[in-house]
Amino acid sequence: MTMTITRTADRQTRLLTAAVLALAVLAAAPAGAAAATEKWAPVASEKLMRLPGDFLRKAVDNDFARSGLAQELVGLDEQVALKRATLADLQRAIERSGDADIRLDLQHQFLSEKRNYIELMREHQEIRRRRAATKVKLYERLLANMNRERRATTPGKAAFIAKQTAARERFEASVSQVDAEILASAAASQSRYAREYARNLTAVQELAAAINAHPMNAAPAIDGQPVTQGEYLRQLIAENQGSLAIISQERAILGHMAKLVSLDALALSEGIAGEVYAEIDIDDTDEAPNQVTSAVEFFTIR
Amino acid sequence: MTISKYTLAGLAAALLIGLAAPASAGTLENMERERAIMIETMLSGDIGNNQRQGRLDIARTRLLDLERMVLRDKSLLGKNQPLVRAAFDNYDLTFVVHASVENNRSLADHWLSEIGLSTQAIMNARSGRR
Repeated sequence: MTMTITRTADRQTRLLTAAVLALAVLAAAPAGAAAATEKWAPVASEKLMRLPGDFLRKAVDNDFARSGLAQELVGLDEQVALKRATLADLQRAIERSGDADIRLDLQHQFLSEKRNYIELMREHQEIRRRRAATKVKLYERLLANMNRERRATTPGKAAFIAKQTAARERFEASVSQVDAEILASAAASQSRYAREYARNLTAVQELAAAINAHPMNAAPAIDGQPVTQGEYLRQLIAENQGSLAIISQERAILGHMAKLVSLDALALSEGIAGEVYAEIDIDDTDEAPNQVTSAVEFFTIR
Repeated sequence: MTISKYTLAGLAAALLIGLAAPASAGTLENMERERAIMIETMLSGDIGNNQRQGRLDIARTRLLDLERMVLRDKSLLGKNQPLVRAAFDNYDLTFVVHASVENNRSLADHWLSEIGLSTQAIMNARSGRR
């Protein structure tokens, strides 16, 4: 008799815990608010704008890696991996468990761990969302700065620069002809300026060729196709917006998981309740001693 | 020991001289000065033809370098100032040495032709009272 009472009390406690767990999961499901406290605030600096090719992306990624937010993400990654291993262990243990009580305990623990996993994943997603959103903002600011610089050139100034460029091209096209003619006819030899300029030009061209061939100076490219810096920035924005959309979808998946955990918790609590109430002996037959008709005789016989 | 008024004035003058930026002309200003001297030589009636030709040869060699310095000067790119604008408005008149070689003309012929003084135009001109 004492043992039955103890077991009943134990199961009632579990019932209460499962119900609380279900409520907690349900309450937390739609909010999705994570407690990421660290920050990452990169600056759209002039230096960043001048970085060639894929350097820009690498510089931004390195800046993120140095931030507190990245450290938090790494920590959460480890915690999520551990939690997943715990869930797998518990699942295997439930499958192997023969004893009903132990199985119930394990199921309860499994639900609790699933809830923790969902919380961790929610925080993980929030940090990834913040990282992608910050990158989108940063690349948009860089693109805006680039466009502002381009707009700063008025049509008049652009026309003037075009005229200067045309003059220079005309000069470059005629320079060898002029050299041949002047040096052939002039009594004086080539000037010191011309000699030294030619020598320096060779050095400059060699250095420029080395810079162009340098692997770290690769021009921005998308799928092997060379693109402008503006196009490259737009590609980076699109990629990060894609990440944001994926994270949003993953959040929906997490919401479904939370819903399932709460349903499991409710099912578990219902199951325990059934067992608890089954042990309470309630006689519901027509021949029960406390039927009102059985007392009629107390009122009819004097 | 007291510092005299003259010593102070001298020190102040030395300081002012030291602070004053050197007044250096740019590549374009130097080229324009040489071009003006070259045109002056070309039009001068005070010198003989041989002397003029000798001076023009020297001016041409010097202008050749100066024109190249201007054309290669990256600091002038987009510098929207009247002198720079005027220089690039007419390549044939500004970079007169290069343009004359391009057009297979002598320096003087090229310059006179560019300002509208061709042999044909002079021959067709009639003297009269304005």
